[in-house]
Amino acid sequence: MSSTVAAPAGVERMPRPAASAPLAWLRERGMGASILVAAISSAFGAVLLSATGYIAALLRADPFLGDSEMLAFVLSILTALLVGVAVYVAAIVTANTFSTVVAGRTRRIALLRLIGASARSQREEVARQGLVVGVIGAAIGLVVGTAASAAGVALAGALLQLEGVEYGVVQGVLLIPAVIVALTTWAAAWVGSRRVLTVTPLQALGGSVEASHDALAGRAGRNAGAIALFLAGGALLAAGILLGLVTPLGVVVAFVGGILSFTGLAVGATLVMPPVLRLVGRLFGRSATARLAAENALRYPERSSRMAIGVVIGVTLVTMFAVALETVKAVIAASSGGEIEPEFASTIDTFSAIMMGLVGVSAVIAAVGLVNLLTIGVVQRRRELGLLRSLGVSTGQVRVMVLLEAAHITIAAVVTGLVLGTAYGWAGAQSLLGSAAMPPAWQSPTFVAPALPWIPLAIIVVATAVLTLVATVIPTRLATRVAPVEALAE
Amino acid sequence: MNISSTDLGLAARVQNLTKTYGRGESAVHALDDVSVGIRRGQFTAIMGPSGSGKSTLMHIMAGLDAATSGHVWIGDTDITGLSDLELTILRRRRVGFVFQAFNLVPTLDALANIMLPFDLDGRRPTALEKARIDALIETLGLTSRLGHRPHELSGGQQQRVAIARALATAPDLVFADEPTGNLDSRSGREVLGLLAAASRDHGQSIAMVTHDPIAASHADRVVFLGDGRVVADKPRQSAEEISAYMLASELGAATGVDAAVAS
Repeated sequence: MSSTVAAPAGVERMPRPAASAPLAWLRERGMGASILVAAISSAFGAVLLSATGYIAALLRADPFLGDSEMLAFVLSILTALLVGVAVYVAAIVTANTFSTVVAGRTRRIALLRLIGASARSQREEVARQGLVVGVIGAAIGLVVGTAASAAGVALAGALLQLEGVEYGVVQGVLLIPAVIVALTTWAAAWVGSRRVLTVTPLQALGGSVEASHDALAGRAGRNAGAIALFLAGGALLAAGILLGLVTPLGVVVAFVGGILSFTGLAVGATLVMPPVLRLVGRLFGRSATARLAAENALRYPERSSRMAIGVVIGVTLVTMFAVALETVKAVIAASSGGEIEPEFASTIDTFSAIMMGLVGVSAVIAAVGLVNLLTIGVVQRRRELGLLRSLGVSTGQVRVMVLLEAAHITIAAVVTGLVLGTAYGWAGAQSLLGSAAMPPAWQSPTFVAPALPWIPLAIIVVATAVLTLVATVIPTRLATRVAPVEALAE
Repeated sequence: MNISSTDLGLAARVQNLTKTYGRGESAVHALDDVSVGIRRGQFTAIMGPSGSGKSTLMHIMAGLDAATSGHVWIGDTDITGLSDLELTILRRRRVGFVFQAFNLVPTLDALANIMLPFDLDGRRPTALEKARIDALIETLGLTSRLGHRPHELSGGQQQRVAIARALATAPDLVFADEPTGNLDSRSGREVLGLLAAASRDHGQSIAMVTHDPIAASHADRVVFLGDGRVVADKPRQSAEEISAYMLASELGAATGVDAAVAS
């Protein structure tokens, strides 16, 4: 109705912050991490694109490898998949960060609503901040990624003593990942800001007790869809494995099954992760600190589940490649009726290591998200920590509490990821090579158990343990600095 | 003269306590050479207008904040030089707290909140303590609420859970900081009655900081603070007497007449 009154333009907008500090919100906790996440994925995209371009240029320059079209095509598909996964994980992390930031802003948003700002304008403001964060991060990533690629190309040229290979790193195509990252960050902020709509003006006035658990109501449809996806994907995976005993095309069916089942898992994260988190919580015993940490890890089931699912994706992918290639060796050994050539084995190991490193980038992005959310969680709990300190929780106990809270999430994520990755990796290798016959024994079809490469798996577990410790450094420092008097202030 | 708090019949005391915020020109003396004791088994109200230093006094007395100079005893322990860990354990075992708001850990249910001091110590209550806690829960009418989380409880119920937690360990001293500040008058009266009963029936020493004359009228003794000093120390008073005294001292301060004369 306000339009008929000819209200001046911008009346429905949220009041602008003082002109002197238009970007002051960038200093808010969580924004820096979102920029970092966007920068990593954009830089990763730039580096991978440059690497594929460079390899294609190498192949073109090689007189003996005339037909390189196929390899270049496979490489670009691989690049798109790898960057896609990184951007997907980054989007989950960013959406999570923004919804957490919004939760911390509830009081302020409520106040603005009280004064007369509309919920929609408030949400748009958050999404706009997401766009700014995305653009800044993508630009930084683009510059860093391009510079790193240039250095890499120069280094490779010098090391390999290549002549006649001309490759200019600065290309328009590098803008593609940057633009995608900026846009997905914007979209992720929009998704994460949904909570703004639930803030009522009344929340600006008092209300000393916060609800301790997010309600997870009204998502039955979504959960049913997730379960359906997961089951259908699982069925396709099984079908792919069986088909793989006859033809290598089984891998295509299994691939579709893998994507469907994993999407189901990611969508239904709030269904899967809380029970796993609860189970992990049991491991830590019944001491007061363990119980507080367990309750905290489940306090916002949606937040914890998404925080965990990012790590799950990373661990699953790394495990998948490790198990897949180890199983490939086992299948070939079974089919040929003996040992496989050491040279071939070492080629597979190298490829495996490269792939693990590349998908590891997604795990790094998830780790940034984990650190960030733990930190914000501590900042938003200052009063509660003050209360606990005044009631007799020592700084040592606070430290243990924060560590256990992080460990909940990383242990739950790493166990889930190892199980899934083993299943996917084994299914992939089995469905691709189950029908293959190898000299000298020419056994076919072959069916092997998942082969577990212990060293890479050990590295994953150790890396997660290190991540847990690193992730708690900043939150612990902040948490132990909370003075008990803060519980009484306000 | 080494007279202990016990000899004096005190649960806690402070001597020549000074707390200064900032330095130089902008220094604020929140507490200015305060010496006062909280008598054992009594319900003491610490009153004063905003900025009188009553909250600072409580924070320092409870080992939550450090004094600029002076000494603080809880029981016979001089807490002035204690480390953070020692202070933490002292609070856990020998001090109870009831705050104005945000008293309870939101992720724990009522029973877990009450048992928190024991859980933090990594021990179970003894049979004697168990009996006391059961009696407390009964008296405070919390039996049917033990499995509820704080956000499922009314303000009055939350405050009663906080009181149960504060009394559970039978501490040397319970500090209550504006315990009725967030409550409606009926719940407020209830809470004050419970605190008074704990002191009367079980000899629990309680120090309550408040600016509400009605709340203070439930106490056995009322200590008045003004501008960082103890300005009066009176036995049980009615709410009218307390209001009259505060009004007179306000007016006295405004007109330059010594407030103490007015009483």
